[in-house]
Amino acid sequence: MNKTTFVRLMAVFKKELVDHTRDRRSLMLALIYPMLGPLLVGGALFLAGKTLQGDFRDQYIYVPVVGIDYVPELKAYMEEQNVRFVPAPTSREDQELGVREGFLPVVMLVPKSAQGQDRFDVEFITNTGRVDNLRVTLRLGTILGRYNHKKADEIAHAAGLQKGYTNVITLTRTNVAQDANIAVFFYTMMPPLMIFMIFLGGVHIAIDTTVGERERGSLEPLLLAPVERWVLLLAKTGAAFVFTAVSALVNVVAFRLFMDWATLSTDKLTGPPDWNVFVYAFVIAIPLMVIAVTLQMSVAVITRSMKEAQIYLGLLPLIPALPGMVMVFTPVDPTSISAAVPILGQMLILNQLVLGQTIDTVQLVSATISTLVSAVLIFLLAAKWFRREKMFVLG
Amino acid sequence: MIVMDNLIKYFDAVHALDGLSLTAKDGQVTGLIGPNGAGKTTAFRIVYGLLMADQGRALVDEVDVAENRMLAQRQLGVMPDVRGLYPRLTAREHIRYFGQLHGSNGQDLEADIEDLVHRLGMTEFADRRAKGFSRGQELKVALGRAMVHRPKNLILDEPTNGLDVMSSRAVRELIGEMKAEGHCILISSHIMSEVSALCDHLVIVANGRKVAEGSPDELRDMVGVKDLEDVFVNILAIHEPQVSGTQP
Repeated sequence: MNKTTFVRLMAVFKKELVDHTRDRRSLMLALIYPMLGPLLVGGALFLAGKTLQGDFRDQYIYVPVVGIDYVPELKAYMEEQNVRFVPAPTSREDQELGVREGFLPVVMLVPKSAQGQDRFDVEFITNTGRVDNLRVTLRLGTILGRYNHKKADEIAHAAGLQKGYTNVITLTRTNVAQDANIAVFFYTMMPPLMIFMIFLGGVHIAIDTTVGERERGSLEPLLLAPVERWVLLLAKTGAAFVFTAVSALVNVVAFRLFMDWATLSTDKLTGPPDWNVFVYAFVIAIPLMVIAVTLQMSVAVITRSMKEAQIYLGLLPLIPALPGMVMVFTPVDPTSISAAVPILGQMLILNQLVLGQTIDTVQLVSATISTLVSAVLIFLLAAKWFRREKMFVLG
Repeated sequence: MIVMDNLIKYFDAVHALDGLSLTAKDGQVTGLIGPNGAGKTTAFRIVYGLLMADQGRALVDEVDVAENRMLAQRQLGVMPDVRGLYPRLTAREHIRYFGQLHGSNGQDLEADIEDLVHRLGMTEFADRRAKGFSRGQELKVALGRAMVHRPKNLILDEPTNGLDVMSSRAVRELIGEMKAEGHCILISSHIMSEVSALCDHLVIVANGRKVAEGSPDELRDMVGVKDLEDVFVNILAIHEPQVSGTQP
């Protein structure tokens, strides 16, 4: 590229930047929208922390119960463990309905046949689809488990056996996850949401500077300037990239700040990864930003109207973000092949980064190269389409 | 000088240009007139390098547009019918942008912009954003944008379309000044009084073909009527009876 071409490229690039920093929609997409995902995740993390985390053993739980007076020893034991009993509805139908609808956290049922017995049945009516219900059920299960062990020890001791005789296995859990709690689950949501935002951040500029120009009638005067078409498209792509990068930066910073805020409310939730993880995430995502804007440009160039472009480009972020959302629930480690798949490679590596796993340099390089090469090919295709007469005849 | 030499252009089954030829000389205003769909805009678009002719060639100062589009574009200033301004840029920014695209910059460019702002009467709104501009203001910006690189040749598509009397007169005066400076000016217009007042040479096209050409007086003599609008209608009636009722 010679100096004249570069000067003209910069003129278009600067014009698009100035034009769109004056545009409320472009600014909203770049500065406000990227905060919504982190705000949602941070809010959910905050609520989850309040609900699931913390030392609830010091707090009373109120358990609707039927027949607890048939087993006074269990009742006393559970009350020692900060369980308080309240009367449950008497009919089975009302009990199930209450739990299903969320009016009751759980219902504990002790049959009359338990009266005076060493061994008896206890039933919980529970709804594990609700987090608050799950919490109470798990805690009651733990308390009853301890009671079982205590009684088994007493029986074994009475029979002349050593303490713990009935415990065949004594289980100890050591959790090696970096952040051994629910917060990690939320942190893994960052990569797909970040990718979603990357594919959205510059979309308005991609549309406005191509098919938008054509609809407005400003493309024709622009193409009368003695500038190669690919130079025009490259400058516009560059402007879209800047807005995408700004939105990604806002997104990453917002994730860190909102996650920090969400975990500050309790000392039982592990805080988010360090700032440097977020810096790496941004850097690793740069090829994604490049391919995102080239894809947006290529789609915007071939569409016939802004409306059509908005429909296609509105759906575009879902394609790369969906695998990421799946990975939140079923984590996948990159292989040398999957890391070299454009977009997917970055997604897998970002996931590893957030989980605190070691990143393979070769995989990182292959992911970067494959995504950047794909972006260049897509841009060349878009530039070819941008030269077509149809581009102007339609206008 | 602008030359169209036997231009033929198809859009799928539509025969947009059917061997159109004309020459627009320096120091003259040449008018390309014809009914809607006659091929005027297509011919202009081929001259300024937006479309490729299927046959024939377009020359701007002897530069073949198909062979060296960018060199031809440097010699051309174009004001399309659709002005196409950027609503968030000021009038001055528009002119500066197109000046930069044509390779101007620095003090020279700023001086040219200032000159155009005064010459086109844009002082009041030069630093206002284009959103909400009147049609007259839009036209002045589009003219400034077309002239910022001091082109020798100008193509003006409907230069006074939608303008009030005063603005139309100002534009006509400006075109007259540029003609006096030796520019080659090719215009398209539906306003016969304007064509009559401005043009030294007229080319009437219908269905992509040239059906008559000459000075306004030559065309009047040829048809035998005084009113140029009647000349236009009569010529079309002879060559394209089905479009003779169409507005010029």
